[in-house]
Amino acid sequence: MRLSQHIGISVVSVAVFLAAWQLVATRQWVDPLLLPSLTDIGLTTEELVVDGYRQVPLWEHIAVSLGRALSGFAAAIIIGIPLGLLMGLSDKLAAVLNPFVQFLRPLPKIALIPLVIVWLGIGEGSKFFLIFIATFLSVVVGAAAAVERISRSRIRVAQTLGASPRQIFLRVVLPETLPELFTTVRLSIGIGWTSLIAAEMIAANSGIGWMVINASSYLRTDIVMLGILLLGGIGYLLDLLLLALQQLCAPWAGKE
Amino acid sequence: MDTITLENVSLSFKAKPNPFVVLDDINLSLNKGEFVVLLGPSGCGKSTILNLVAGFNRPDQGRVLVNGKPVLKPGADRGMIFQQPNLFPWLTVLENVAFGPTLGKHNKQQVNDQATEWLARVGLRGFEHHSPWQLSGGMKQRVALARAWLPGPEVLLLDEPFGALDAQTRLMMQELLRNAWLGTDTTLLFVTHDVEEALFLADRIVIMSAKPGKIVEEVISPFGRERDIEALVEHPQYGELKHHVLHRVREEAKRHLR
Repeated sequence: MRLSQHIGISVVSVAVFLAAWQLVATRQWVDPLLLPSLTDIGLTTEELVVDGYRQVPLWEHIAVSLGRALSGFAAAIIIGIPLGLLMGLSDKLAAVLNPFVQFLRPLPKIALIPLVIVWLGIGEGSKFFLIFIATFLSVVVGAAAAVERISRSRIRVAQTLGASPRQIFLRVVLPETLPELFTTVRLSIGIGWTSLIAAEMIAANSGIGWMVINASSYLRTDIVMLGILLLGGIGYLLDLLLLALQQLCAPWAGKE
Repeated sequence: MDTITLENVSLSFKAKPNPFVVLDDINLSLNKGEFVVLLGPSGCGKSTILNLVAGFNRPDQGRVLVNGKPVLKPGADRGMIFQQPNLFPWLTVLENVAFGPTLGKHNKQQVNDQATEWLARVGLRGFEHHSPWQLSGGMKQRVALARAWLPGPEVLLLDEPFGALDAQTRLMMQELLRNAWLGTDTTLLFVTHDVEEALFLADRIVIMSAKPGKIVEEVISPFGRERDIEALVEHPQYGELKHHVLHRVREEAKRHLR
């Protein structure tokens, strides 16, 4: 299927869904408290843009959440990718770190919240840490797996051309794993973005995750819906951005 | 003068319960600039010999020497071409060919000129800035050939390099390889199980048997340096030699079916 056709079908599918939502909500087939209409959410958005939610403008909620998430992602990628690659290359290092990584990775990060509060307090540190740890563990495992999947024969070709181990790492292993590293980062950022809500459950007073939790205790379903749309939409955009970056940096992905 | 020498080389894989003897007392010398084809049924250890010369494996017994020095690890003096081209898809065709020299100190312009020249020699003029995935299988293998040959290795090891190509492309590649080799003084060690391929390419055919891998016969080619694939089949000795070699290889192959 051509890309334009694919996008066209997706746009139509979303439009039909939104139209059905609007119809169900305006006809009040469902209680507006449970399902606010799109126009109501639009009005709420306007209100939040102008007056803010709890004295904080909407853009600032978005900026605060993005700032927290992106700093967590950046640290996770900068530390996680080299560490994962090294674990993939060195059996010994993998043996040392794997028990911890594999124990912590499937652990629901919400379970860590009480500990993180005790250790790091209720400030930005604990929120950063929760996003970081969720993303980091997934990046490490993905990067290590990427190394294990690379082709032995390309390394052999480089060896017969006289490449040193260092050159093999920089000029064969790294580019060879690049497409897979992008996939790993995309998946990990998905996981990291999910833990944003968990992070913002810790005594925050701004951020989209906090806004959703706070609004739910006042039964402001419209604000909850808006927050969900923002969380999902931003996550989607981040993924598209990475996909574009992957096509720019590793255009050979999947072409052999 | 001998460039490559295998002296009493034996190698077994430590499988349980019985270790598996891959190579048994192999003695083989390659003269400088010689084109030698290792011919044998699958499992006779012919690829293992290449891996030993390349330095990927070490023999259990015996020695592998290149210019009198024992082989300890892979190096640029022994180029290798595999059945798959194994190009680097993140580099252009030209960058692939220039990969070897760019690992050390080099003059970029000079290396690019050499790479361009090698690409012309393998019939890929004008494809310098293409990406590997835009090429056909035969073209990819030609890039791999240029990449392995450009650094000027002492010996080029070819492990069934045309095995994955269709019959027409394979013939063209064989002619191209022989012509390219005639313009150099590189020693070639070529592994195949295809009798006709061996007859067309080789100065000397080394026939191997399997389980354990042993050299059973050496045939010196009577066909001379300049060869044409169509004229070759008309050669008075071609039919007889082909029959003899085919018979020997089939004999060895059949022996293991029992």
